[in-house]
Amino acid sequence: MKLLRNLILRPLWRDPLRTAMTILAVALGVAVVVAIELAADAAAGSFRSSIESLTGKTDFEIAANGRIDERWFGRLAMLPVDARFAPVMEAQAILPGIGAVPLYGVDLMGRDAMLASAALARRLPADGGFTATIEGRAYPFHATALHSEGTAEFLLLDIARAQQLLNRYGKLDRIDVTVAPGEDRDGVERAIRAVLPAAYRIDKPGARSDENQTMLRAFRLNLRALSYISLLVGAFLIYNTVSVSVVRRRAEIGILRAIGASRGTVLTVFLVEALLLGVAGAALGVVFGRVLAAGAVRLVGETVNALYTTSRPAPVELTWGATLLAFGTASLVAFFCALAPACEAMNIAPTEAMSRGAHEHRARLRWRRGLLASAILAALAAAVSQAGPIAGYPIGGYIAALLAVGAAALAAPAMVLGVNRATRAVTRRRASSLLASRGLTASLSRTSVVVSALATAIAMMASVGIMVGSFRETVSLWLDDQLQADLHIRSAARPAPGEFPPVDAAVAAIVRSIPGIAASDFYSGMEFHFRGQRPTLGAGDMEVTRRTNRLRFLPGEDRDAILRSLPHEDRVIAGEPFAHKFGLHTGDRIDVSLGEHNVTFTLAGIFYDYAGGQGRMMMDRSTLLRYLPDQPLTSISLFLAPGADMGAIEHEIQLRAAPYGITIARNADIRRLSMMVFDRTFAVTWALEAVAILVAVLGAANSLLALVLDRRRSLGLLRYLGASTGQIRGLILTEAAFLGAFAAILGLALGVALSLLLVFVVNKQSFGWTIQFHPPAGLLAGALLLIWAVTVLAGLYPARVASRLNPIDVIHEE
Amino acid sequence: MSLARVELRGVSKSYSNGGQAVDVLHDVSLAAAAGTITALVGRSGCGKTTLLNLAGAMDFPTSGQVLIDGRDTASLSERELTGLRRRRVGFVFQFFQLLPTLTVLENVELPLLLAGAVKSSETALDRLQWVGLADLAARLPFQLSGGQMQRVAIARALVHSPDVLIADEPTGNLDTASGDQVLRLLADAAARFGATVLMATHSAEAAAIAQVRVRLRDGRIQAIESS
Repeated sequence: MKLLRNLILRPLWRDPLRTAMTILAVALGVAVVVAIELAADAAAGSFRSSIESLTGKTDFEIAANGRIDERWFGRLAMLPVDARFAPVMEAQAILPGIGAVPLYGVDLMGRDAMLASAALARRLPADGGFTATIEGRAYPFHATALHSEGTAEFLLLDIARAQQLLNRYGKLDRIDVTVAPGEDRDGVERAIRAVLPAAYRIDKPGARSDENQTMLRAFRLNLRALSYISLLVGAFLIYNTVSVSVVRRRAEIGILRAIGASRGTVLTVFLVEALLLGVAGAALGVVFGRVLAAGAVRLVGETVNALYTTSRPAPVELTWGATLLAFGTASLVAFFCALAPACEAMNIAPTEAMSRGAHEHRARLRWRRGLLASAILAALAAAVSQAGPIAGYPIGGYIAALLAVGAAALAAPAMVLGVNRATRAVTRRRASSLLASRGLTASLSRTSVVVSALATAIAMMASVGIMVGSFRETVSLWLDDQLQADLHIRSAARPAPGEFPPVDAAVAAIVRSIPGIAASDFYSGMEFHFRGQRPTLGAGDMEVTRRTNRLRFLPGEDRDAILRSLPHEDRVIAGEPFAHKFGLHTGDRIDVSLGEHNVTFTLAGIFYDYAGGQGRMMMDRSTLLRYLPDQPLTSISLFLAPGADMGAIEHEIQLRAAPYGITIARNADIRRLSMMVFDRTFAVTWALEAVAILVAVLGAANSLLALVLDRRRSLGLLRYLGASTGQIRGLILTEAAFLGAFAAILGLALGVALSLLLVFVVNKQSFGWTIQFHPPAGLLAGALLLIWAVTVLAGLYPARVASRLNPIDVIHEE
Repeated sequence: MSLARVELRGVSKSYSNGGQAVDVLHDVSLAAAAGTITALVGRSGCGKTTLLNLAGAMDFPTSGQVLIDGRDTASLSERELTGLRRRRVGFVFQFFQLLPTLTVLENVELPLLLAGAVKSSETALDRLQWVGLADLAARLPFQLSGGQMQRVAIARALVHSPDVLIADEPTGNLDTASGDQVLRLLADAAARFGATVLMATHSAEAAAIAQVRVRLRDGRIQAIESS
């Protein structure tokens, strides 16, 4: 314990500010990792039916693409099995001040009542009266509270009333089956299977939850990878802190070895120091992470709801798993980052320990070796990036990214020396720039680590910025292709991904009767179960699509021929993400269940598609209606004749279709909303980037402070030589500016390399999107400038410390 | 009016050490004229370095006055003090105190760069020639011997032609031959540049070149000898 206290704790305590900054940097990195883990779990939600607590545990769920025809319920009820069959409708009701809550239609024996779960009832007005918007229309209700436990919020209606409100007469979303105790479960399943059409599914309970988890898998992995960037930056800082500790305590190491301490003792001292920093950072990080998770849930939830599926976030829970992950990760990172400098300390000969300049001198000599190693790592990164996905994950892309970061770190010393040499003629003209540039190269190993940490954070910002900018431009160009219609009609309900509120058939009749409309594309969208996931099935008028030049197909595919071949045929086309997700190629045969039918379709072509994350398959509406004749319209796109009065047509439709709860939007509105959704989905990404930058800037401040403290004597001497306190401050700020500039150069280069990986490897392998490369130069330049300025600001406190040193005290220090 | 360039009048100096006052100098009075060398001799801890810091306006007395050309250093603003160090005072230290990351020429040039002077390289080279080290201008300090480093330090201290040269044990870390070289340079500085040299030393040889020798003990002047 005494050794621990004297050799480890006391040195840390002697430098409280720097110790605290290192712990804080680690804590931020850990906090981000923890927050994203907790938020992703919570935002995905449980997806389990909230009414399970009321109906009891179900054994099976019967479902079908295009919903279940009601008549099958009657057939099931007649089966000679001891099981309960419960029909269920599911929808969303929007309540003012509360938002979207699940609305279930269940068999209430015809009871004309709206029931609210106890948790929801507590939030409703005292008299139970409220207005709910369902499928775009507002209805007044009066709810009675259920005696339910837990925090689930939901509404219950009798199923007949639900069908009426949702305009889904004769259809059920699913049938829940509960087998009585003692009854043969497998036998019941066989009996059900024998009665139902083969296309109907019998799922385990929670299948929807499993499907959602599968859909979110790639998204969660990418988010997790991003969250580890802050920890990676923190890793640089631990390495730097331990390295600085080794350098500053070289004399102490020499003394220890001279009085009998073994190499193992020296190694242990520095490893334990690093572990303490890691553990302290983890403890703080877990607390920060829990707090951050509350905000992160909202951001992550927005992305999930925008791109994948509707979810109500579950409460954020700090699990033992997340806590152990935090401590384990931080400890491992601290251990491995401290290993190299600790080994170096272990191998210091007692006599050599007394010589100060040797360490940095060796660092300056090693830059060539570092540059060679950097080139090798870069080549390896390029090679590994060519690897295909492993189990659907872009593992090669992630490894290549790590190798690229390593290559940049190894090249940092050469870059610092090179830039310094190239600017020598300029920097030597002023005392501050001369001293700053020499000071940084004199502490080359330390400078390189700080530059690498900051460059890594900058590179992540740049690469994600380039990726998002490219993606945005790609989506924008795609929207130019997609949004050719003059007007778009859809339900007034606010749909989430996977929801396609119907448009009343009467609206189609109204549209057909209005002059001035050259063509109308009547479209039906629906979510369908396919190979364990829930992509989108769209059915429109492919002839109108062909004539209006929408949809671009992959190179080599004949667009006109493909679209002409679809009407009335068992042929489909697939979006690029859909084809990628399910490993499909043009010409493949695809089995899809639609209603009561199992149909084998031929994949006629693959088109570029950026409409959401689930993937989309399309067919001509004539084909869909063959198998699902009652499938409602979900949107109508109108192409006006030349010279037609858009305003007048829009007005007439609004007037005549007013009772049917629709909205009419022009191209510009749809485009604006689409881009808003796009921008919102990356909010969590930007938040993660900001934390990584903060961690790196903290590291820069920490390092500058260390440099100031280590150069006390030189700074004191400058006062003797006539430097003013302002000049001393200026010197430190100039060093900060140089650090920021070095990091910006290296970070931008690394960022471009990482962006190529993100665009052409990670995104492609994770989601299947083809993204055109469009770096947003203006935005990047602005962001780099901002980070550089923040780095300079990080030098303010070290500059203040430097200017307040008493020259008399420091000049005479031994 | 005093002819002394540097004058201490009844100067006392005490520091606080853990809440206790430590008296370093007691009622010290002395005057140093232009072009003279004044040697401060005495044991370690007798107050020589403190006296030099006061004379060089790096520190201020607890009581009494330190005058440089008749001006009380305690009355100067921070700006005036910085100007004083840039133009009128030069320092030479026992451990040379060269910046290891700068070349010999850059070390000598540094005070002029800090003062924003023009043609700093030419002036610095001139000083290096004076100390006989112009051919080592591109070297780094770790490539020099102790004597060479101290000569570079003297060149630096004199690059801006100061009126006052403060030297704290300038030969303390040197062998005899190098020490003699340094002493000759200090004597030349006083004679050629008219600098007032205040030098703390343990060395009898160093004290021998001084016109005035001040013997200090326990922060008090024991004796002042002139030659």
